Amino acid sequence: MHAIVLVKRVLDPEIPRTAFSVDPERRQPSVPRAPYVLSVFDGNALEVALRLREARGGDLRITALTLGPGPAEEVLRKALALTVDAAAHVLGDEEALGAVAKAEALAAAIRRLPPPDLVLCGRQAADWEAGQLGGMLAEALGLPCVPFVSAVLDPAGTEVLQQLESGQAVYRLRGPTVLTVTNDGQNVLRAAKIKDVMAARGKGIAVFPLGELLAEAGSQAAAPEVETLALRLPAPQRRAEICEGETAGARAARLMRRLRELGAV
Amino acid sequence: MGGDPLAKILTVACAAGAGIAPAAVELTQAAAHLAADMEGELCALMLGVGARAAAPALQAAGADEVITCEEESIADAPGEAGLVALVEACRRLRPTLVLLAADSLGRDWAPRLAYRLGAGLVTEVTDWSVEAGRPVFQRMVFGGKAIAAMAVQGEVAVATVRPGAGRREVPPAPGRGPVEDLGVAIPLAPRWPRIVARQAEERQGPGLEEARVIVSGGRGLGGAEGFLALQELAAAFGGAVGASRAAVDEGWAPATWQIGQTGKTVAPDLYIAVGISGASQHLVGCARAKTIVAINQDPEAPIFDYARLGVVGDWRQVVPELTRAVKEMLPG
Repeated sequence: MHAIVLVKRVLDPEIPRTAFSVDPERRQPSVPRAPYVLSVFDGNALEVALRLREARGGDLRITALTLGPGPAEEVLRKALALTVDAAAHVLGDEEALGAVAKAEALAAAIRRLPPPDLVLCGRQAADWEAGQLGGMLAEALGLPCVPFVSAVLDPAGTEVLQQLESGQAVYRLRGPTVLTVTNDGQNVLRAAKIKDVMAARGKGIAVFPLGELLAEAGSQAAAPEVETLALRLPAPQRRAEICEGETAGARAARLMRRLRELGAV
Repeated sequence: MGGDPLAKILTVACAAGAGIAPAAVELTQAAAHLAADMEGELCALMLGVGARAAAPALQAAGADEVITCEEESIADAPGEAGLVALVEACRRLRPTLVLLAADSLGRDWAPRLAYRLGAGLVTEVTDWSVEAGRPVFQRMVFGGKAIAAMAVQGEVAVATVRPGAGRREVPPAPGRGPVEDLGVAIPLAPRWPRIVARQAEERQGPGLEEARVIVSGGRGLGGAEGFLALQELAAAFGGAVGASRAAVDEGWAPATWQIGQTGKTVAPDLYIAVGISGASQHLVGCARAKTIVAINQDPEAPIFDYARLGVVGDWRQVVPELTRAVKEMLPG
């Protein structure tokens, strides 16, 4: 059985507001010495795959796949440090690519790998938060898709748990499927072991040039379908009025008084 | 641009019992305002058993033409079967803009529909304006730290819409037009994933979307037991309990309690954030609350830059005192 997990290198979403600013000309974030991390929901997707492998006694090949320029290799190294079996890098600049072209390039990469039974990705990337790749990739691959999965429930990989607004649903899969993964208490990405981090440095990564894959997919080299017209910071807020008091009881009482005065209760 | 000179917007709603959910009414009304601004018309696709009976509710909310589809496969494979219905409705109506709710179904359909239509997709829209005849959409990015304005280049656009987007004070005029069945059979295809079990969340008291008061807990609670204290406080208010992503990831609260950019978007009168640091992606979920209160041990926590009122202290002392004060003030 083979699972492919898509991973993306993103600007750390935990950067505090005070350290974050934007370049309005380029319509991109502007963060000096920007820290980059594995997109958090992709981490959940990796954990789902790793747990499935454990449930299968190790009988699951996991390939991590990314699309991006040279530095994107970092997230593949991280996945290798978490003991995925193989890694592949669609190498190219993805900033100017439209969503459909990205999906088609990744689909072409997947067609060069051993056929997957499951393709997993985070429900949305922690930078632009669009949540569109999973569904578009399913279309490009001609596969069904189940979004908002938090776990694979059986070792055969045929039943998955979906998180909904008002509860959960269990889906039975009927063949290779794309899953987009959301977080819950069971799929926080584990920490890598030091020996695995060291071993990951020497592992091979298959590299596919982006242009080659786009040509293979017959993808239009047209401009992206969506244009970012502006990027700005939200208006600054006023700091809270702190309800003081000698004791917790006094502070709570002051809070209640202020809430009543403001008409909030 | 070729095609119809008028803008034509299509929204989608799912039948819920005899009517439609308040969120679907809200989206239809917002879409009706946008259609008027673009001098176009609004059509609606109503899905699920009971769709025909619920169609008048969509027209009352501003939809003109309504297409219904009551195929049973939509219940078993909503992503796949609903998508087939959507694609067929688009083939028939040729909309220039498809608006879907940014809920689990809308988020499932939108990228796949956009791919099949060759349309540009903008997701998680929080607001819009009309410029040079086309919609310009606002959305939060980078964990709620920035706002992007985006527009679709081509002839057809798909967008998913967050609660509250495009809301106006005055509702739109009711629509008028035919209500017709989609007229296609949608059998369950062999390779479609199917729902084999469902579990509704058990919740006492109001749901998060309806609650007037929400008490929410984060990593600062230090454990699941903290949520018991929050439940008492919420109960004293007749409200509901929510959670930050950190608390869900720790396993202290179920995912259905999560509030934030990828959790629920709530708009209560009062939102009390306990032990929540104030990550911007969390604030995206509660920013529409009328009053935000923060209770946190750390006076430097970012939440105090967003809350209206704050208490610096240990929730273990503050929350029970607050519960006592609420019970005294709001007996019964």
